[in-house]
Amino acid sequence: MSRHPAPEELLLDYAAGTLPDGPALAVALHVALDPDSRRMVDRLNAVGGALIEREAEAALDEAALDSVLARLDGVAVEPRAQAPVRPPGFDWAPAPLVPHLRPGMGWRRILGMFDEIRLDLPGSFHRVSLLRLEPGHGLPQHKHAGYEYTVCLQGGYTDETGNYGVGDFAVGPGEHRHEPIADPGEPCIALIVVEKPIVLTGPWGRFFNPLVKRGLI
Amino acid sequence: MLSADEAADLIEAIALRQDRVAFAALFRHFAPRVKAFVMRGGTDADTAQEVAQEALVMVWRKAASFDRTRASAATWLYTIARNKRIDLLRRSARPIDTEDWLAVYAPEAEDADKSVLAGQTYTRVKELLVGLSEDQLVVIQKAFFEDKTHTVIAEELKLPLGTVKSRIRLALGRLREALEKDET
Repeated sequence: MSRHPAPEELLLDYAAGTLPDGPALAVALHVALDPDSRRMVDRLNAVGGALIEREAEAALDEAALDSVLARLDGVAVEPRAQAPVRPPGFDWAPAPLVPHLRPGMGWRRILGMFDEIRLDLPGSFHRVSLLRLEPGHGLPQHKHAGYEYTVCLQGGYTDETGNYGVGDFAVGPGEHRHEPIADPGEPCIALIVVEKPIVLTGPWGRFFNPLVKRGLI
Repeated sequence: MLSADEAADLIEAIALRQDRVAFAALFRHFAPRVKAFVMRGGTDADTAQEVAQEALVMVWRKAASFDRTRASAATWLYTIARNKRIDLLRRSARPIDTEDWLAVYAPEAEDADKSVLAGQTYTRVKELLVGLSEDQLVVIQKAFFEDKTHTVIAEELKLPLGTVKSRIRLALGRLREALEKDET
């Protein structure tokens, strides 16, 4: 059971399909790792199913069925879905992350402080990254202009709001400054989805904010 | 009408023997409902029909991955239609079908509590929806069907955002409590 589940309203938006891609990926990873949230999403999907079943039928002529039937000759019934194959080095990746990984994707060291893999979600308004922190290491103190979503995927980290382990979810307008530090043990890996470029508030800020604004780091 | 068991049988018939008669029966039941569901979001009839047709083609493709112990047919169809709606409405260069990553539960992530039968959850959810107050049902319906943010819902209902959020929370809380009581 997760100590920090995603808020239920966010699970509702996820089940309703109204979240933008970045936050939707963050929730998908949380849901894959957290049985309680998974059950809540199952229930919300059942609400969707029940609402569809209650729906009155919209007019749809037989020609619509005929054209789909004609297409089926060229469409195979696919074998049962198998567990996804993870590229080497990504054994920790929850299933919904796997389609976003490319062979040869590697960690990039940033500011000598942490490692990053920037994920490419075409058309996304969010910056979506995997971050890796060595135990005892932290991210530079920062705050956010917009919403930030974090899911812990390996290890754990601690900041002013608490301690986060695998599957834990954090969301919030980053008005308060925070400075996550990786817990002892394995390196901490997290997916971070940020609405707008973050603003560094510590002594490093003066140097790095111009780079942040240009999307270089 | 099509019962939940009948619908599940039809999907399994597609998986087992590419049964086109079963597909046609599923199509006749669900395609008009999916179309109506998508039109509620303000989508024009032609696009909504395309979503419905594409969703049913996806049902054909993915039939072998349907697991009646995990989700009722209507629930499964809902998730497929939702994902198709996302893909078709955005129409951006998406290299990955939403179906392939959003809400896909890895077969490896078997739930220990699978004994909670999905069919029961679905039947109970249907009953619970009837028991919700009109206020609560409206916000849930809008959140699901109309593809709107809570802020837009608040504007439409001429309610403060906080009120919409607390109604959604209340409705979700009622659903969760009732289902958890059943499951223990």
